[in-house]
Amino acid sequence: MSNYILKYSRDDRVKYISHLDFVRMFHRAARRAELPFVFSQGFNPHPVMTVAQPLSVGVTSDGEYMKVGFDGEFSPQDLTDRLNAALPPGFKILSARKVEGKEIDLTKIDRAEYWVKVEYEGSIDAQDIADFLNEPRLIVMKKSKSGVKESDIRPYIYKLDLTGSDEKTAAFSMTLAVGSVYNLKPESVIDAMEKYIDGFKPEFFAVHRKSLLCGDVDYL
Amino acid sequence: MTIALKDKILSKVTKPTRYTGGELNAVIKDPASVDVRFGFCFADTYEIAMSHLGLKILYHTLNDRPDTYCERVFAPWTDMEEQMKERGMKLFALESGDEVTRFDILGFTMQYELSYSNIVNMLMLADIPVRARDRDESYPIVCGGGPCAYNAEPVADIFDFFMLGEGEELIHEVTDEYIKWKKSGKKNKKDYLEAIAKIEGVYVPSFYDVEYNADGTIKSITPNNPNSPAKIRKRIMKDFDKTYAPETIIVPFGEVVHDRVMLELMRGCLRGCRFCQAGYIYRPLRERKSDTLLSLADKLLSCSGYDEISLSSLSTSDFSGLRDLTDGLLDITEKKKIGLSLPSLRIDNFSLELMEKVQKVRKSGITFAPEAGTQRLRDVINKNITEENIVRSTALLFSGGWTNVKLYFMIGLPTETAEDVEGIADLAHKVLDTYYAIPKEERAKQVNITVSTSSFVPKPFTAFQWEPMNTRDMLIEKQNMLKGAIRSKKIKYNWHDNKTSYLEGVFARGDRRLCEVIIRAVEKGCKFDGWDEHFKFDTWLEAFDELGVDPDFYCTRARDYDEILPWEHIDVGVTKKFLIRESEKARAGETTPNCREKCAGCGANSFGTGVCYE
Ligand code: SF4
Repeated sequence: MSNYILKYSRDDRVKYISHLDFVRMFHRAARRAELPFVFSQGFNPHPVMTVAQPLSVGVTSDGEYMKVGFDGEFSPQDLTDRLNAALPPGFKILSARKVEGKEIDLTKIDRAEYWVKVEYEGSIDAQDIADFLNEPRLIVMKKSKSGVKESDIRPYIYKLDLTGSDEKTAAFSMTLAVGSVYNLKPESVIDAMEKYIDGFKPEFFAVHRKSLLCGDVDYL
Repeated sequence: MTIALKDKILSKVTKPTRYTGGELNAVIKDPASVDVRFGFCFADTYEIAMSHLGLKILYHTLNDRPDTYCERVFAPWTDMEEQMKERGMKLFALESGDEVTRFDILGFTMQYELSYSNIVNMLMLADIPVRARDRDESYPIVCGGGPCAYNAEPVADIFDFFMLGEGEELIHEVTDEYIKWKKSGKKNKKDYLEAIAKIEGVYVPSFYDVEYNADGTIKSITPNNPNSPAKIRKRIMKDFDKTYAPETIIVPFGEVVHDRVMLELMRGCLRGCRFCQAGYIYRPLRERKSDTLLSLADKLLSCSGYDEISLSSLSTSDFSGLRDLTDGLLDITEKKKIGLSLPSLRIDNFSLELMEKVQKVRKSGITFAPEAGTQRLRDVINKNITEENIVRSTALLFSGGWTNVKLYFMIGLPTETAEDVEGIADLAHKVLDTYYAIPKEERAKQVNITVSTSSFVPKPFTAFQWEPMNTRDMLIEKQNMLKGAIRSKKIKYNWHDNKTSYLEGVFARGDRRLCEVIIRAVEKGCKFDGWDEHFKFDTWLEAFDELGVDPDFYCTRARDYDEILPWEHIDVGVTKKFLIRESEKARAGETTPNCREKCAGCGANSFGTGVCYE
């Protein structure tokens, strides 16, 4: 058995697939590619596979990660080619690497870079964003297991730029905390902008995850 | 730099992958490169539609033609419908996302009567006039097929034509004619309909006039066009082994009802249960060869990555190559770690042994369908299963470690008495006694018996097509009677509300006077009638009332043999004479042997193939 880290992308065509459906889809793709999954032990064996920071429904991405175990040895290129031939259109394996120990630890991923498009009414400019980031605290209502709670998200916004705008749509680039310590979703940042920036009324938004990072490092 | 309308909508609905398409093996074409854009419509949710075998077959056979782009069109769930209406989005096809309003052909598969309201609703969402006569050449031709097409009179005004019987050849013939008509400038819709009316299996309802007697029964059904035959005969595939079967299968992202490879072993059934429409309309029985099936199984599993395969047929135990097939399948499933599910198997030593070998059968639930509680009534309906069979099979099951037995029955069958209803409870108790008769150490620790009843709905082209359906009050009384007769906590009783069965009963044997009622009911908000949470019985009754149509006339009224039935001009092979004979034998409590024991002379041998010539 060998373990592999896969980096992959998901485009518009497959962005509405939930995490569970994604896992099932990937199992089927591996079966089509005739890659023998390692099955877990126990009462109800399932293929061994971990997805780092599962993507929210509706979000596209250029930099997702997962770890899988297969019975046998495969070159990264072979693995990539076989999976790409078997995946439904919209998914793409970008690269693969065989891992022995813990040189790549997907649980250490702690931030994500997003590109966010927001349709809005009112106005927004770079100064608004600078003022927004200068607020000592940015309090939004955040859902957690125990219910909806107030939360200060300011410490978890590592970077936020307005990268373009026209009358109706603004584009942002943001780097936010993900992971077990704190998980900040772009929609919470948009909620906060609506609350703290006067005259900015966001309506619809579209999110693209550019990368998943461990500190400043993108693994593959 | 805008966000697409569809994304705004999809962010607000449940299960968005119902609407996105893009699944593995879905066919994508350039619409500009084809002559025909065909919308294959299924008037229910994605999960149900994508479980339907017929859709898979016709979708791929149409898309194998370079000149045709067949896309799937399903009923949006109510949250999606609301969003679509709010944002001005019309009914769309899954593959391209394009509106279907100007497609060339929309073909509905009509699987159950309760989807009629959804058909109308889908046309409305597509902004297409509902009545065929209101659609000019700029709108799609709307056609229908499937089991409900054999009596499609309740929706006759809505459709341009119906296809009767199996569609593998027929759908190509009507598409060819469409292309000819389109290339000649699509001048007059009638020209196209006249051209296809000559094709066997095509029924153009507007080419027939229906007249009524003063008592509401039908006086005559007469062709009004020289191209339309007096009787429309269903089509079947003569050489079923060689009949087109897709070697690819779309793999949905979300879970659907039948999320697996399905192998169609055979068409038709040789049993002749007198209540069963499928048993008559798909005659004669035809089989595929085991080798053909095994090679198909291999291809479908490889191209899909599915980890489960199931056998599809009306009665798997009657498949003559069952042993070869299952041996071959077990080879494949063991090698590939794949589950095999075996529905509609009779329980005997062979099938038990088989189930032991199969991975995915959990030893919990086994289903029997005795359908009736006493031997007398089982003889009436020609259900070839005896109490002894059931007791012996359940004894085998219980000693083999099975714990749950489900028993399916119908109530409201012709000639049914209180004794028959109580017989259901007796039979369940006998099954329970069988469990207790097994020594403790040799049986499973617990036992659960579930009795389910559905309400019998008389269907066209069955021996019971003349019978009155029980009234709702009668059915409720019988349900209560049965509830009272079940004395053990180990026996659970499930029953259905019979309002939907009543409506099904009205449509099943309905005529053209119901078209306006259906349209009215949809205008008043009826849709998804097969879904309890959406079924609006009172609204339906209002619609009947407003249009002065008495639903009981269709449902609870007994017919004479010489009454002209709304489907009198349809020929399914099985003759009226045979059905009368079966009806008489039912009344006398006499059984009819199956096709392999002795041909009963049903008329289906006129197709020149199948079990009739074995
Ligand atoms: S003609 Fe005879 S053998 Fe053929 S389907 Fe009818 S009853 Fe069965």
